[in-house]
Amino acid sequence: MKSPVYGLLLLLALMLPPISNLLESIMITHMHMQMPLLVVSGLFMAKFFQNRFPEFFSKWNENGVPGLLLFSIIMMYWSLPRTMDEALTLTSVEVFKFISLPFLAGVPLRDSWPKLNSFWKHALIIFFTILFLALGWLYIWSPVQLCNNYLVIEQITLGWGFISTAFAMVVYLIYSYFMDFSKYE
Amino acid sequence: METVIKQSGKTQVFKDKANKIMGISLEDAKLTKSYLSVAFLAILLGGILGLLQGLNRAGMLELPAWLNYYQVLTAHGLLLVVVLSAFFTIGYFYAGLSHTLGGLLPKVRKMAWVGFWMKIFGFVLAVIPILMNEASVMYTFYPPMAASPIFYIGLVFIVLGVWMCAFGAFINVASWRKRNPGQHIPILSFFATGVFVLLFFGSIPVAIEVFTIIPWAFGWVETINVMVARTLFWAFGHTLVNIWYLTAVSAWYVIVPKVIGGRRWNDLLTRIVVIALVIMNITGGFHHQIIDPGISEPVKYMHVFMSLAIGFPSLMTAYAMFAVFERTARRKGGKGIVGWYKKLPWGDVRFLAPFIAMAAFIPAGAGGIAQTTNQLNQVVHNTMWVVGHFHLTLGMSVVMTFFGLSYWLIPYVSKRVLTPQINKLGVIQTIIWTLGMIIMSGAMHWVGLLGSPRRTSYSTYFDNATALSWDPYLFFLAIGGTLLMIGVLMQVYAVFYLMFFAPKGNTEFPIAEVEEDEAPTPRWTERWGLWVVCMIVLVGMAYVIPLVDFIVNAPPGSPPFKTW
Repeated sequence: MKSPVYGLLLLLALMLPPISNLLESIMITHMHMQMPLLVVSGLFMAKFFQNRFPEFFSKWNENGVPGLLLFSIIMMYWSLPRTMDEALTLTSVEVFKFISLPFLAGVPLRDSWPKLNSFWKHALIIFFTILFLALGWLYIWSPVQLCNNYLVIEQITLGWGFISTAFAMVVYLIYSYFMDFSKYE
Repeated sequence: METVIKQSGKTQVFKDKANKIMGISLEDAKLTKSYLSVAFLAILLGGILGLLQGLNRAGMLELPAWLNYYQVLTAHGLLLVVVLSAFFTIGYFYAGLSHTLGGLLPKVRKMAWVGFWMKIFGFVLAVIPILMNEASVMYTFYPPMAASPIFYIGLVFIVLGVWMCAFGAFINVASWRKRNPGQHIPILSFFATGVFVLLFFGSIPVAIEVFTIIPWAFGWVETINVMVARTLFWAFGHTLVNIWYLTAVSAWYVIVPKVIGGRRWNDLLTRIVVIALVIMNITGGFHHQIIDPGISEPVKYMHVFMSLAIGFPSLMTAYAMFAVFERTARRKGGKGIVGWYKKLPWGDVRFLAPFIAMAAFIPAGAGGIAQTTNQLNQVVHNTMWVVGHFHLTLGMSVVMTFFGLSYWLIPYVSKRVLTPQINKLGVIQTIIWTLGMIIMSGAMHWVGLLGSPRRTSYSTYFDNATALSWDPYLFFLAIGGTLLMIGVLMQVYAVFYLMFFAPKGNTEFPIAEVEEDEAPTPRWTERWGLWVVCMIVLVGMAYVIPLVDFIVNAPPGSPPFKTW
């Protein structure tokens, strides 16, 4: 049971001012590195909460779908340009980022994933693929600067980051669609 | 069949037994023999050119007017970096696929032959302009130096030939998996899968680069984005380097333990090393551009981290290898903290050559880590140090492993045996090669630290005192190069003797087994699609920022230059 400790250490490390300043200084590392790492820290810490409050999770997240929903809402919220801007300007939003992504996205995802059947798992990936393509389109071709804190070039870079991640997810979806694992097992 | 997992199905069992008793099928053997013959002819030619170049670089030999230093440099690089490595890797792994998967599928064999002739055709196309002094752009053929368009068209065929072989390997592995449900890919084929995945994905960037260069070289477009082209080149260039390294590593994990009469390292950890190297490799290309302009400091910093990450599986390998040696030697009665080394078969070239290759990777890897570091790279970047570094990694770690493999692989595919005389010749060759490479590469490293530039023919810079002070080191370079030429001649003799003249007999394909009490390897190691997706994500992380910057903030672009 070391993983919650590692998760906490990761979260604390990400909260250190030099690290958070470095990651937040570039738009794409802010959204595509710091935020996923916060979720990862939550994934690591989930076991602690699952052991501590087993009834809460079995009652409120019986089939995994509520957790999935919560995860998706939090992730969608943090992919808006405005929320990133606010995280940089308002301390309260920054604090919310460091709480919501590990505990309201990472922890529920870890709890939900094993409970979900492959329909929901694939639905989640398809949803995020579409979301990423749309966000990629938004960030690359937006005629205006979307964030006060980041230059247009950074915005375009982030857009291509979304498109390349979406491409990877499409490859994965094609792979799992065409691969019949039962033939190999 | 000597893999970890037993085969199932009657046909498969029959095929495997036939493979074991009769050795490789004649058709598969012919394929590997052809690939290996080209590889060793390339080393002969490349070696001769290397000697000319080394002597010329030391100021000891004047090249004739019709042959200049950069021409020789380009041909030497292409022959050894592209031809030798690609042909050996493919020949070796196709023999491995044939042996561990119960023979190649007829379709796959055909694909490998088509790939063979495409590569040869491409190579001939590339060599013609080099001989005509129209393509003296060196192995690193990125703009703004421009060669004749024919050179690049030749490269396209080489890449297509490599893809043919990669897809052949995938088809063979997939078909085996369907026929053997629930089983792990035999370890050597697992390595082969990793290598071909890297060969395919690593050559996509260079294919894109070459397709943008061709219209530029023809003059259809006036300018090219130099930074994009360099970045695409190194995404391939670095991966290619690591493909040979992974090929050598496969022999260290799978073959060498059997040669010394031991068992191989933990199956799961071995597979993790392969997966880690496949996922993390392509992004390493960036550290070749660490002093390039137009890349911001934070991006360079991130890339230093990503490159150093590749060192981790290598450190795992170093640990694993010495652990296997020690365990095997102790089982044979070896004693003491290091005294066990006496029990290793030092007189067997099949062990000695790969062992020295591994040992060479200790300084070679350390040098690589030094070069990956921003500040240290600035000291050595354009100096002979770098040339010394890749002669140590490729010329020793990789090529000596290939040499060691040839002493059983060639008898195996030729249905002949390694004679004690050739073994002795091999041991002497190994010693000569080691001495030659230490002298040459050592001199290159040192003279590089003193400032002698790479990619530059001999010059005393109007008898400048600093430039003159390099001369003694350059003599050592020439002496080392001469020893290496002797090594090349001995090796090529041994190869063709073993292929055509050695006594007939059966040679075993040495694949070590795992320890008996080892836990079964988990299924997730077989999810190749997932590893490829991880690789794509990592490549995206590495390249999106700089490429968007290079393209969106592009400078006017460069016309083609012919500097020679």
